[in-house]
Amino acid sequence: MFRSRSWFGGGLWKPKNPHSLEHLKYLYNVLSKNQTVSESNRGLLVETLRSIAEILIWGDQNDGSVFDFFLEKNMLSFFLKIMRQKCGSYVCVQLLQTLNILFENIRNETSLYYLLSNNHVNSIIVHKFDFSDEEVMAYYISFLKTLSFKLNTHTIHFFYNEHTNDFPLYTEAIKFFNHSESMVRIAVRTLTLNVYKVDDKSMLKFIGDRTAAPYFSNLVWFIGNHVLELDNCVRNDADHQSKGKLADLVAEHLDHLHYLNDILCLDIGDLNCVLTDQLLHRLLMPLYVLSLAPRLSSQDSVTQSRPYVSKVVALFLLSQVFLIITHAPLVHTLAWIILNSDSTSISDDDQAHNMTALAQSSIPSSIPKLVSPPKPTINEELELSYEEKKAIVWKKAHTSAEQTSADNTDTATTNEEGESSSQEPVPSPAVGRPFLEAIFASLDCTENDFVALFALCLLYSMGHNKGVNECLLDKVLFPAKNSQHWYNGNLIERLIQIISLSCQMNSKVRLVSLEMSIGLIQQLALRDNHSYLHDGHLAAIEGAREESTGQLRTFYKSDEIFLDMFEEEYNERKKGALNVEWLMMDSNILLPPTGTPMTGIEFSKRLPCGEGERTRRTIRAFLLVRELSQSLGMGNENQLPLTNPSACVQVDQVLDLSTCLPYNSDLIACTVVTKDGQKIRRFLVIDALQLILVEPDTRRLGWGVAKFVGFLQDLEETGDKDDSRCLHITVHRPLSSNTPNRLPLLAAKFVFDDHIRCMAARQRLTKGKAKARQKKMQQIARLLEIPANQATPSPPTYSLQAMRLQDRASRSLLGGPNRPLFSSAIKAPGFAAAVRREESGRSSRTPSPSSRTSSENTGTRSREGSPKMPRPRSEEIPLEDMSSQEGGSSSSSLPLQDPTNTSTPVANQNKVGRGATRRRHMEASRRLLSPSPRRASESPSRMAQAMERSSSMSNSPSATPPIPSSHPETETSFTEVPQDTGDPNGNNSFKRSDSADRKKKGSVEII
Amino acid sequence: MSYAYLFKYIIIGDTGVGKSCLLLQFTDKRFQPVHDLTIGVEFGARMITIDGKQIKLQIWDTAGQEAFRSITRSYYRGAAGALLVYDITRRDTFNHLTTWLEDARQHSNSNMVIMLIGNKSDLEGRREVKREEGEAFAREHGLIFMETSAKTAANVEEAFINTAKEVYEKIQEGVFDINNEANGIKIGPQHSPTNPSLPSGGQGGMQGGGCC
Repeated sequence: MFRSRSWFGGGLWKPKNPHSLEHLKYLYNVLSKNQTVSESNRGLLVETLRSIAEILIWGDQNDGSVFDFFLEKNMLSFFLKIMRQKCGSYVCVQLLQTLNILFENIRNETSLYYLLSNNHVNSIIVHKFDFSDEEVMAYYISFLKTLSFKLNTHTIHFFYNEHTNDFPLYTEAIKFFNHSESMVRIAVRTLTLNVYKVDDKSMLKFIGDRTAAPYFSNLVWFIGNHVLELDNCVRNDADHQSKGKLADLVAEHLDHLHYLNDILCLDIGDLNCVLTDQLLHRLLMPLYVLSLAPRLSSQDSVTQSRPYVSKVVALFLLSQVFLIITHAPLVHTLAWIILNSDSTSISDDDQAHNMTALAQSSIPSSIPKLVSPPKPTINEELELSYEEKKAIVWKKAHTSAEQTSADNTDTATTNEEGESSSQEPVPSPAVGRPFLEAIFASLDCTENDFVALFALCLLYSMGHNKGVNECLLDKVLFPAKNSQHWYNGNLIERLIQIISLSCQMNSKVRLVSLEMSIGLIQQLALRDNHSYLHDGHLAAIEGAREESTGQLRTFYKSDEIFLDMFEEEYNERKKGALNVEWLMMDSNILLPPTGTPMTGIEFSKRLPCGEGERTRRTIRAFLLVRELSQSLGMGNENQLPLTNPSACVQVDQVLDLSTCLPYNSDLIACTVVTKDGQKIRRFLVIDALQLILVEPDTRRLGWGVAKFVGFLQDLEETGDKDDSRCLHITVHRPLSSNTPNRLPLLAAKFVFDDHIRCMAARQRLTKGKAKARQKKMQQIARLLEIPANQATPSPPTYSLQAMRLQDRASRSLLGGPNRPLFSSAIKAPGFAAAVRREESGRSSRTPSPSSRTSSENTGTRSREGSPKMPRPRSEEIPLEDMSSQEGGSSSSSLPLQDPTNTSTPVANQNKVGRGATRRRHMEASRRLLSPSPRRASESPSRMAQAMERSSSMSNSPSATPPIPSSHPETETSFTEVPQDTGDPNGNNSFKRSDSADRKKKGSVEII
Repeated sequence: MSYAYLFKYIIIGDTGVGKSCLLLQFTDKRFQPVHDLTIGVEFGARMITIDGKQIKLQIWDTAGQEAFRSITRSYYRGAAGALLVYDITRRDTFNHLTTWLEDARQHSNSNMVIMLIGNKSDLEGRREVKREEGEAFAREHGLIFMETSAKTAANVEEAFINTAKEVYEKIQEGVFDINNEANGIKIGPQHSPTNPSLPSGGQGGMQGGGCC
């Protein structure tokens, strides 16, 4: 056996240099003397194995003769010998670790080939280690995984034996695909992907023929079971108890889908066929899709016992499928089934068809199952339904796909085109398509938006999946290309319904659903930034916008916090669109919507809790709907953001102090003392919005460099008890800033030259802050079309309730809730209750007593005709500028203005009729959405007229040019469309009489 | 080999920053630091002692698996701790930290302890990333920070053990749901919540050849 004495020579004594051929010879000697593992030599063996790894890698990198010796002496066979004795995990682990190190670090390709050539590695792979030992298991699977990284078209032949049709690395690994340890499962998945990746025809054929079907069927079965568990968890956890477990199950499902997608993306023809087939017919169709439709009662026992999941879970899972998997044959077929399949495909007759399909596609039962066969529960049943449905569905899907892509002249399209040419929103023919019908039905948010959110996500994800043929979606989810502006009227009406509902008081629609609906409308009606939306639908959206504006008016108050909230919500909105993929990763939304922040659920994914959150929600809804309206061509953005960043002074900006600062004829010199005791000499400049600390430019007289800028609105200043020349100034970070850091921007002591200058600075600061805030509040008021001054265009119609509240809000703004008297009234416990009661009782038109009280509080003042004098926070400094800006115009004169800018023939409705008017508007717009022949015969409401006009105009759909909505003309043009009946005269007189009425009642009650 | 807890770690970072060498250095210290030998491993386990309790660390290197999205996301989710490694001699590896961190935060459970490691601190002469920069990045993102050298073994021990201490503290605080194995934490076979002080067998130190 030992051919050369010289090899053997130096091996008897341990050499000093551990990195030398001599050392390996010594180790060889040790191994050959200790071929039997015993208690006494265990430690020595482990140490030897460890050293072998080290020296081999050293040799690989430095001295070729080391490896030659290792191969010559066939030292791997020692490994096998040791392994085959019951050597215990201690030795086994070291052995596997040595192998890991060896294969991980080896760089010399020839060495690698030699190592693999004698089949020892395959013997080690198939060796039955003690897999119950978690340590052995981990090292073993890591070993297999490490090997899989060495696979390529050359090395594959060492692992896959074409003649014996044997591939132990793969077949041994997939036995653990469902191991209880997640890291082991991941390693198996990595290994399989590494195997599939190797471009070797015969190996892939082996995988496809011999293992794909059983492996994938087990995988699919495993996922199916997992999904049932998930469903069970959702059903039994209405009160958010086992959130952790649910989150896990969801994440696990995502892992599976990503894994499947990774396989499909490798684009291996045969493999993908088998996988697509298995997935569609054993999982997606029978379990996910069929769970969408209501269960048919008159079915045989097979269907009865068919496993199913709740509709919520089904929609959720399908959304995930469309968000993750892009393999066209799979997603396209699935989308086709959902969108087009009729009830025949879920009825289970038609045996004749099934027979042929079965013959073609059934999996040879002779294949040995590699993994323990799936339990009969889900799999058999899935198989049954699979066999039933397969033939028809496949055939239909494929023929339809061909048809749609080849020509678009099938009857359905022509019909739809014909209808669309009449410019009427067409009710989508969802009848006879149970799944599509089920999805549409889910969009109903009257109760809540629990299911609707998932339906929205599914529609979104189908629309955004690259693998789904666009022709298929054209009819459902996009404006059809071939007919100029046809889109799915039925769907859009449902979406508008969601938007309308979410703009109402105490809406049960979460912000996230609103945002999804908006996204879908844009997807549905916009192509290349051009809106194809029919005027009737547009009108409904504008109606919703009005509604949301009206809602926000009720929350509008000159509270410090309102402005901060508004700006924060605006910035939050600007951060970017909703990431639907992330949304569908959140298991929280699988549980019924909740209102409590205690669940830790993000604000947009739950209902608001408390007055603050309700305000926030209303702001966000307003911004979202406003954005939608603008994207549909109704006006451009010219009012937001409230602060134009480009108009702000930046740090290090050079300023011409003589001209650019109108507020400051002189600068106030001061010394800024920071917390760490640093003293800096600066000039304090108070701009319209900002506080600026300037360092004079030494080279140019009258110029300076801004060293610090902060917004006045975030400022806080206090005097110093001990030193009358000092002010303590804190500038907070804007609530809306993106940094999590809540430390103030600046917190320092300002020392002025004398007491007088200090007082002056303080006055300027307080005044500047009040002005800055007031300016923004007025901007918001303009945005909300609150008639605070003359400049406001004709006030639109809005609900009585909103009007009343808005009236109060605007008066409280003008009357100055900053005065202690009123702010205390507003903060009184009854106030919040009042709003709530009003919200809940919005259908009843009787003002609640508490609202009367509050209006009484503010009302007296407004009647005295000085309502527009804004009160600064600091009483001693009146804001002359502001009052002059409001230009002596009294808001009370506004209602008396002639309605010159409107040609609307609507008669002034009496007070009793106002609530009814609104209802009529709503009904009218609803009628508009689903046109009926009765429409023309309706009462001479302006809705009908608008409708007439819009349908006559709509031959040129782009007729409505985008005009800034704030412009009065737009309002006028809009009066052609319902809801927005700009009728200032009537409205305002109502408002006045109404508020007067309330005041009377209020005073009576108070007395 | 009984233990009170098992923590699963992952090591992430650009290729070539020395992830697998760190791992091997920690799990098997007897690999001597020699200048002409680069040697690493993808998996390792070692027993350590924290607060008198035997804790087993299982460390999985995720190198080479970036091509498959399914694999990276699963790894993140299954780990209680992550070592985010960059190479102080290569600025680009530092610049990529944000991407790594985003990935980690997106896929991992929110309690995962992340330690930032500037590796190859022995190569002071070729340093491109200042220690202060690493510290600042860690502070900004709420990570623990350390500079290590897999070659000289400097701080390697500390990096892994400090991360473990953090995880352990979180367990004590009740932040981790230890009954949910998906968090990357496993309770040892002999460990039960009713009898937490039970010391486990002494032979843990022998594991993987590590000494502790």
